[in-house]
Amino acid sequence: MMKLYDYILSPSCYKVRLMAALTGVKLDLRAVDFHPGLEHRGPELLALNPAGSIPILEDGDLLLTESSAMLVYLAAKAAPGWLAGSDAEEAARVQQWLSFSGRLTASLGGARLHEMLLRPGDIGVLQSQGIAALRELELGLVEQAERGKRFLAADRPTVADIACFPYVALAPDGGVSLDPYPAIRLWSRALRSLKGFIEMPGIHRLHELKPEPQLEAGGA
Amino acid sequence: MPSGTASSWVPVALSSDLPSGTVMPARIPAGPLALWRSQSGHVAASADRCPHRGMSLSHGFVRGETLSCIYHGWSYGQAGNCLRIPAHPGLTPPEAIRTVTHPVAEADGVIWIAVGEPAGTPPALAGLVPLRSLAAFAGIAAIEAAAGTRANAAGLLEAEDIRLLLSSAREGETLIHVLVEADASPAARIAAARAAEGLRRKAEDFQKKGAAR
Repeated sequence: MMKLYDYILSPSCYKVRLMAALTGVKLDLRAVDFHPGLEHRGPELLALNPAGSIPILEDGDLLLTESSAMLVYLAAKAAPGWLAGSDAEEAARVQQWLSFSGRLTASLGGARLHEMLLRPGDIGVLQSQGIAALRELELGLVEQAERGKRFLAADRPTVADIACFPYVALAPDGGVSLDPYPAIRLWSRALRSLKGFIEMPGIHRLHELKPEPQLEAGGA
Repeated sequence: MPSGTASSWVPVALSSDLPSGTVMPARIPAGPLALWRSQSGHVAASADRCPHRGMSLSHGFVRGETLSCIYHGWSYGQAGNCLRIPAHPGLTPPEAIRTVTHPVAEADGVIWIAVGEPAGTPPALAGLVPLRSLAAFAGIAAIEAAAGTRANAAGLLEAEDIRLLLSSAREGETLIHVLVEADASPAARIAAARAAEGLRRKAEDFQKKGAAR
């Protein structure tokens, strides 16, 4: 079984858990004491990943330390429909947004670490870079809608959507509002409506998709 | 909405951005709103605050014809009255539990909120259709300066290359609805969506430099 060095509050780790859930892959989760233990900077994990970051995915001889590569690996193994098809434009869009997701991590993710774990940084700069990235994503989704496509690279979700979704959904943790982005709101809904979608703290499922819970009258 | 007008229709969102069974945040000068559309398609606007614990109702969810708070599930009808308190299933919620609601009109693909008591119906868009909404950290004056022309009393701004419907929700921030000709080609629509980004950059630049004051 693939082994994921995981931290429940890490959006990058969540990308891999989410992709695995959506593609029906079982992961052996190994919890890392990221905070406050800084276990990812300890000798055992540095031996696996000298960069000192998580997630880390191990599958036999294969050792991955970049979340986008993990998404591609999971999809290629279990559900290739999540990868780009043979269309050149679609393939390019997948790569475009996979690379772009790194900017979301640096900006919105940096603002979130600053606000939640007091990581040093210029919060004003991180937030305005985050807003710039959200605006770029919003325009990308508006354009895709004009092309009749609901997701970043195609009319079906791909690894690119999963790479971008978590840091966007958690932008408010870093003090960046998601209110002014209607296309991002609809895209987020579409992703959270997917069969097999799982939550992480701060990203909840769509309650309306579940039947209304009924309590017996008089019980309260 | 032109500033300084006591009563008017405020364009807060596009119909296409609020599908049936969803809720979104919106803003009028009086404050934040939860704007929602029931399963059967009715749009309603309530103050964005659950009377129970103050949670934003725009974080909630729509089931059938009711808006529910994400926190404890209190459910409200379009008139703002509380219909259900899940922790007290046998209780018919008292009339006094209600959210503040605002009259809504939907026309030409735009959702309008009545602020004050505007006479008549929302302004017509005359052959134009809405394309997208975007928020700018710039007042209407800065957007007019960036576009090189003024908006009319209804908030409609028609420049040579772009048409906008402007809604000023708070000081220094404007909600811009981009409009296009009803028969615009897909390429023209995408071009207009991109052009709005450039206009926003320019307007925000003016706003920062205070050039629009």
